[in-house]
Amino acid sequence: MTPPSLAEMIGRIQGLPVMPAVALEVLDSMAGADTDVKSLARRITQDQAIAARVLRVANSPFYGLQMRVSTIHDAIVVLGFSAVRSLVLAAAIVTSLPAGRCPGFSQDRFWRHVLGTAVAAQALAQPLKRPAEPLFIAGLLHDIGRLVMVALYPEHYTAVIDLAREQDSCLRDAEAAIFGFDHAAVGAALARGWNFPADIVDALAWHHAPEHGTPGGLAAIIHYADAISQALDLEETENSQMPRLHQEAIDGLGLDWQKLTKVLADTQARFDSYRLMLG
Amino acid sequence: MSDKQLQIRDATLPGSVLAEPVTDAGGVVLLPAGLTLTEAHLDSLRRRGIENLCVLLAVDPEELARRREKARLRIMHLFRHTADDPGSQALLHAILAFREEQTK
Repeated sequence: MTPPSLAEMIGRIQGLPVMPAVALEVLDSMAGADTDVKSLARRITQDQAIAARVLRVANSPFYGLQMRVSTIHDAIVVLGFSAVRSLVLAAAIVTSLPAGRCPGFSQDRFWRHVLGTAVAAQALAQPLKRPAEPLFIAGLLHDIGRLVMVALYPEHYTAVIDLAREQDSCLRDAEAAIFGFDHAAVGAALARGWNFPADIVDALAWHHAPEHGTPGGLAAIIHYADAISQALDLEETENSQMPRLHQEAIDGLGLDWQKLTKVLADTQARFDSYRLMLG
Repeated sequence: MSDKQLQIRDATLPGSVLAEPVTDAGGVVLLPAGLTLTEAHLDSLRRRGIENLCVLLAVDPEELARRREKARLRIMHLFRHTADDPGSQALLHAILAFREEQTK
């Protein structure tokens, strides 16, 4: 069972289900492309699977709406375009990127971790005085490379999972041992191929090694958001373990005790709402 | 703490804490959540025809201590390889305190 090279893996990505057009449009509009809000709302509404998931979250207690919203248009009016756009992207990605069959890999746990990281990144935006949307997207996509590895090479990935269990190591180390590279490298290559914004590519590439990322970029924040999601046990996996945290990157964020505690509570509340998307 | 729905005639109600506000048929709040109920409150509610109340259920202190310990052990399990890392300290202590607060 010879593992593929990174180039081979990236070459096979075309064989994967594509990102839904709505998700790409949403990403483009986030990157500042001139998007017509009304036409995007109309396009989202046409995709019932996505719209239903978005409305489920929009009507959760987290948003505290006085009345139920029943259409994407109403959700945009009440919650604002940017909030709905984030929800749409999450729903589109969750709905459309299946992991295929890989014994030992739980798609449900994967999405719980990913959504947890995305909402932790969103929660970090306020104390760090950063725009929430790019952080949310970076969180949502941070482990996308893992999904590619699982979908394209399920047998190899089962070996990764087995090795991690045997050695009680993290999946990332086991990926490097089996493939010779990890999900961060795959995710970054994929994001480059899909022409994602540079700050997102940077975050995907360096969320485990923020010291190599662009200074002041998103990598350090996603590094911490990933850990916050794990610490809150949002994935609910018995043998999961905390990633190693890079002290300088964490110190560089300058979060005091009070802010960090608030981020934990905020992340938990957001997650309780966003998880409705998965059910 | 968890919530429990009780009938207005329940003998354990005086001294209990309201988990939810009590509202009349029109949705007007009669008593706010968090209020400790007295006999006088209950009389007034009975006169207004209120039949059920949702109160906070006191949890046995030993049970709480067990839950706290379980939460702490789970966190230490998650941090089993990283609890001594300098980079982990702030998050480890914040999450321990957060869970402690949640199980009060």
